Amino acid sequence: MDLLKVGESLSLSEYLKRLWTHRHFMMRVPLEDLRAQNSHTFLGSIWLVLNPLLQVGVYFLVFGLIMPIDRGVDQYLVFLTIGVFVFFHSQRVISESTRSLVINVGLIRTVHFPRAVLPISATVGQALAFIPIFIVMTVVVLAYGNWPHLRWLLIFPVFIIQNAFSLGIGLIGARINHSYRDLENLLPFIFRLLFYISGVLYSVDSVVDDDFWRAIFLLNPMYCLVSLWRWVMVGTSAGGEVWLATGIWSLLALLIGLSAFRSKETTYGGTG
Amino acid sequence: MTDLAIRCSDAHVNYLVRSNRQLIRSMIRGQKPEVRVIEAVKGVTFDVDVGESVGVIGPNGSGKTSLLQAMTGLLPLNKGEILVKSVPTFLGVQAVLRPQLTGWRNIQLGLLAQGLNKSEAEDMTNSVADFCELDDFLDLPMETFSSGMKARLHFAVATALAPDILLIDEALAVGDRSFQKKSSERLKEHRSKAGTILLVSHNLEEVRQSCQRVIWLENGVVVADGPADDVIEAYETS
Repeated sequence: MDLLKVGESLSLSEYLKRLWTHRHFMMRVPLEDLRAQNSHTFLGSIWLVLNPLLQVGVYFLVFGLIMPIDRGVDQYLVFLTIGVFVFFHSQRVISESTRSLVINVGLIRTVHFPRAVLPISATVGQALAFIPIFIVMTVVVLAYGNWPHLRWLLIFPVFIIQNAFSLGIGLIGARINHSYRDLENLLPFIFRLLFYISGVLYSVDSVVDDDFWRAIFLLNPMYCLVSLWRWVMVGTSAGGEVWLATGIWSLLALLIGLSAFRSKETTYGGTG
Repeated sequence: MTDLAIRCSDAHVNYLVRSNRQLIRSMIRGQKPEVRVIEAVKGVTFDVDVGESVGVIGPNGSGKTSLLQAMTGLLPLNKGEILVKSVPTFLGVQAVLRPQLTGWRNIQLGLLAQGLNKSEAEDMTNSVADFCELDDFLDLPMETFSSGMKARLHFAVATALAPDILLIDEALAVGDRSFQKKSSERLKEHRSKAGTILLVSHNLEEVRQSCQRVIWLENGVVVADGPADDVIEAYETS
């Protein structure tokens, strides 16, 4: 009679197989959480649309009416909206996956399942929450006379690449945050810094004009993602090297993330 | 020859406690930060056969819960090993699924978490709900449940799939009498289908009723392991 050794980690293929059997769970948890999130508010789920709408409203008020600057960019409001929504989406995926182990410690101690379910389902949740945000973004893009283009076929692939990257970083984050809860406090500042150096508010091309510095910006995956999205939505130039850099970043993040996460898999219910 | 369900050999579980104050103080002095090691389980060895029901008793802090959690693979062992027939299901009091969600949704989540697919979970939801006897309360968020009601729901979810090995940590103690009776019936039925149960409880009467064998832990080591009546008697007179 074969006995299993408790606490022994599964092989990668076995692990991925177990993840697959939990796919219904991974889909259901974020759906339920989204439902519960706004259950105490008067407007309920309408907030999912209202939130990005108000955000754009504020930008319109500030940059369209009060101080109409364009920082050398055509359609600054469109530029800004895409940048901010895309950046914040990755930020939310990464922070939510990072916190997912700590928030769900009750579930971890109760039910046996591959723990990567939690960061993945946090990512799925944010991806679902991005749908209304994406719709608002598209409305802004259309409102400024940017008609649908063949490039729009790449929206979904770019979105997948973005989420793969963010999940990969989130897996690493979750692994660190489990041992050092300090990361949660640090993350907002890291993102604040990234926000300013990723060309969300300004066009990097208008700031740097030598190849060396442009290459340095390619080392920043958030800059790459924001650039790709702008190219797909409104055709702001993004060369092949941006695609390449983003692809490499996503693949690396996912591979390193998964192996870093799995290396501590059996300890996630403990005290860290 | 009977089949083995659990083989626990020389299991050690340690907790590391880092103290913040010491971390800063030692950094100033340039020493390595001090880490306190608390040995919760210090070399526990026993075998459990398939279909056996074993009670684990002992004073607070004797390592009972740590031992159970180590068996689920939740706490890493520092030494020794635990072999099991299949990964045990753990049932504890503090178990929470999603407090903001209703009882119904928690039942479904609990079933999905155990790897069921959507339609299997739908099919099973009603029978689990019937077992909890919470009726209309299931429409309320779980955060509004009393601890006894939570325990009912959780017991029903955890035992729904009839896991090979069930580890129960004080979870039955919070239910009322009728539910305790009902749950011990379900455990009996479970055992008759070759299910194995480990039950941690301070309620010695409950242990005596549902277990043939008892392990007495103290300070992380086994003091006695034998027929329920003998060990409980020795424990009571100690």
